[in-house]
Amino acid sequence: MSTTTAAAAAKMTSTTAVAISLVLSSCVVANAFRQKKQFYPSVVYICKSNPSMAIMYMQALVAVYLIGKLTGKLFFGSLRPAESERLIEKAWYAVTETCLAFTIFKDDLSPKFVALFTLLLFLKCFHWLAEDRVDYMERTPVISYIFHLRIWLLLVILTLGDVYFVHDAYTTTMAKGPSVQLVFGFEYALLITLAANAAFKYVLHAVDVHSDTFWESKAVLLLYLEFFIGLCKAVMYVVFLIIMVRTYTIPLFAFRPMYHTLRNFKKVFQDLVLSRRAIHNMNTLYPDATLQDLQAIENVCIICREDMTAAAAKKLPCNHIFHTSCLRSWFQRHQTCPTCRLDILRPTPLTTQNSNVPRPITPTPGRTAQETPSTEAAASSSATDNSRGPSTSNPTHVSSNQAGSSGSSYYNQTPLQYQFRPYTFQQRSTSVDEINGNNSENSNNGIPESNNMNESWIAFMNAAGIGGGIGPSSLFNDMPQTSTNLPSTNIPQIPLNLPFVGGIAIQPPNIPPNLDTLSDEELRLMEQNTRQGCLARIKYITDIKCMLDAAVVMMNQYSSACLMAGLDSTDSTFNSETKTSDTTENDEQLETRPPSNISSETDSSTGSGVTSSSSGSEDQLIQEETEQQRIIRLKRLEKFGSNST
Amino acid sequence: MAGSALRRLMAEYKQLTLNPPEGIIAGPTTEENYFEWEALITGPEGTCFEGGVFPAKLIFPSDYPLSPPKMSFTCDMFHPNIYSDGRVCISILHAPGDDPMGYESSNERWSPVQSVEKILLSVISMLAEPNDESGANVDAAKMWREDREGFNKVAETLVRKTLGIPTSK
Ligand SMILES: [Zn+2]
Ligand SMILES: [Zn+2]
Repeated sequence: MSTTTAAAAAKMTSTTAVAISLVLSSCVVANAFRQKKQFYPSVVYICKSNPSMAIMYMQALVAVYLIGKLTGKLFFGSLRPAESERLIEKAWYAVTETCLAFTIFKDDLSPKFVALFTLLLFLKCFHWLAEDRVDYMERTPVISYIFHLRIWLLLVILTLGDVYFVHDAYTTTMAKGPSVQLVFGFEYALLITLAANAAFKYVLHAVDVHSDTFWESKAVLLLYLEFFIGLCKAVMYVVFLIIMVRTYTIPLFAFRPMYHTLRNFKKVFQDLVLSRRAIHNMNTLYPDATLQDLQAIENVCIICREDMTAAAAKKLPCNHIFHTSCLRSWFQRHQTCPTCRLDILRPTPLTTQNSNVPRPITPTPGRTAQETPSTEAAASSSATDNSRGPSTSNPTHVSSNQAGSSGSSYYNQTPLQYQFRPYTFQQRSTSVDEINGNNSENSNNGIPESNNMNESWIAFMNAAGIGGGIGPSSLFNDMPQTSTNLPSTNIPQIPLNLPFVGGIAIQPPNIPPNLDTLSDEELRLMEQNTRQGCLARIKYITDIKCMLDAAVVMMNQYSSACLMAGLDSTDSTFNSETKTSDTTENDEQLETRPPSNISSETDSSTGSGVTSSSSGSEDQLIQEETEQQRIIRLKRLEKFGSNST
Repeated sequence: MAGSALRRLMAEYKQLTLNPPEGIIAGPTTEENYFEWEALITGPEGTCFEGGVFPAKLIFPSDYPLSPPKMSFTCDMFHPNIYSDGRVCISILHAPGDDPMGYESSNERWSPVQSVEKILLSVISMLAEPNDESGANVDAAKMWREDREGFNKVAETLVRKTLGIPTSK
């Protein structure tokens, strides 16, 4: 009987059930009075007759249901469809799980137990509804005073009730030993966390609603709240499990919610740790967007669709710009760029296990052009109009603007920055189109984006240090690509820079990683004849090359410093010499040439012509070897590129 | 100050009303609650769903656009990527990392870059080209693969139903 009533109630087709039960119970009462004529005897009569009792129980349930509806109306007004849907779903789970609990506590089954259980379910429903209502605060533009009053009252009453029942369960368990009160105590303890969660959320939302500006740290606070509530719940479940296993048996009925709680807690914990790292990266590494950046794009943050100001926006390594606050809340969910999904925590993945980071860039520009960034692919596949999606049109705008602006201010830059151009962050970014855009732009102008590059280089060095899990070799993920487009941009710069560099500290290059620190697995991976392994090996080679390049640069600096200090007379001739020769050579030769000049310089006091030419030819020999090696290297890379297509 | 989710939904609603894409009408059910939308989607031309007008509802989470909305058709649908209760199963509606089917790449997943408009356009292209690897409706997927004629017939009755035209026999 009771189950049919409950089911009917759950289906919200309850008015008939209520009416039927009312009629039935009044019949029972009338019948008893007709037979016994007096109050007491008729009560005894009803209690002794099983059918009458059943009807009375049903009537009690109906009464509870009606009271529930009434109080619900009082505290919540009318429920929204989504709310009642969720409520029924959750109540259904609660009922089935408690039926499972019955199997353990068969002996305790009594009317009192059923009553307690009904009350528990009742209070649970109110907790869920309170949670829903508090969440609803974020969704509606108007919140009335009556709403605040209701929530306040409800939360206070619920918390007091929970505390009372926990206390009750504790005292009875202590006095009479373990009983079904254990489960009730545990359930009410869980409900306390629920109520606390709702209360804290309510406070946060209320403060947010009343403040006029956007409250940035709210999202962070919410995440912390979720974490602590999750922690409390997880601890409770574990304690409950231990107690239950020791006193009764394994509480199967608690497994589903326990699994959910633990999984949620794990996820929140992960989110917390990762988002903290991502936000730290963002705050320390990524530059604020400049006005030019903002003008280049449509000035709309793609996360919130609102305008950005330069102070409140950040530029990610992939050149995508968002509000700092928007990024902060997004990083709590996923630590990727919203537009191109660049992984913020590890800009250059060495391993392919992490499937949600796009593949490393392939060396030949012809091939890379075919690869479209992920979101664009998605957008086009879903038949979106590309004209309106800012994500598709932005990157090229950004890059062209930067190239232009930094180009004009190039001559004001500190010299020598170009040397590190090949190793900068941008070429490691995943948005291939941008890179191609940049590079083609550069080769057209013959002017690099020195400023931008230098910034990202610093950012990149820091990222390598902070990011922890990033293997140093991953820094030079895309080295091969740079060798294809270097020459045109770099050559004219060295002679311009050389005379002025004395005393300027240059950025240290990346030190090739200590191979001892690699794990066995990583080493095995490198040994493999796969694309991955080979790329990793090439990375090490390029690391070493970078070191050598840096050494050459240092030598250049040293020699130019010498020139400026002591050998003024030969200075101009030296410069013109290098200028003319260098412009005709490519960058590889450029690196080895300066030492020959140094030697010629030092010997210039005596018969300089002979010595310089001889050392030059030696250099040429070495140069040819390395050139050959380089060709082989490039060929192999090209092979990989064509293989993977 | 109103929540960022609310403001973004208002912005999207404005955008959709000022500049409606072809074949789509969408907006909040009531002005008080911007987190529940109704949408009308017309069946793409040249497909078996051509001519139909399919009502659907979208439920947005309070942290939208960080999390995707849920979408379900409120009319009868028979399609490999739509559950029998109307829920739509396409990758744009799933956040990266939560993968009910296990085959989707993260590229097509939800991110704040997506919008209601993009979702609805994706649904239209889904109507045009079902992904029969998805197991949302196994019967429909099987029929789509093996008995295209039959599938088209079922689709036609659905279209007629949404338009209120009795099925011709
Ligand atoms: Zn924003
Ligand atoms: Zn990006």
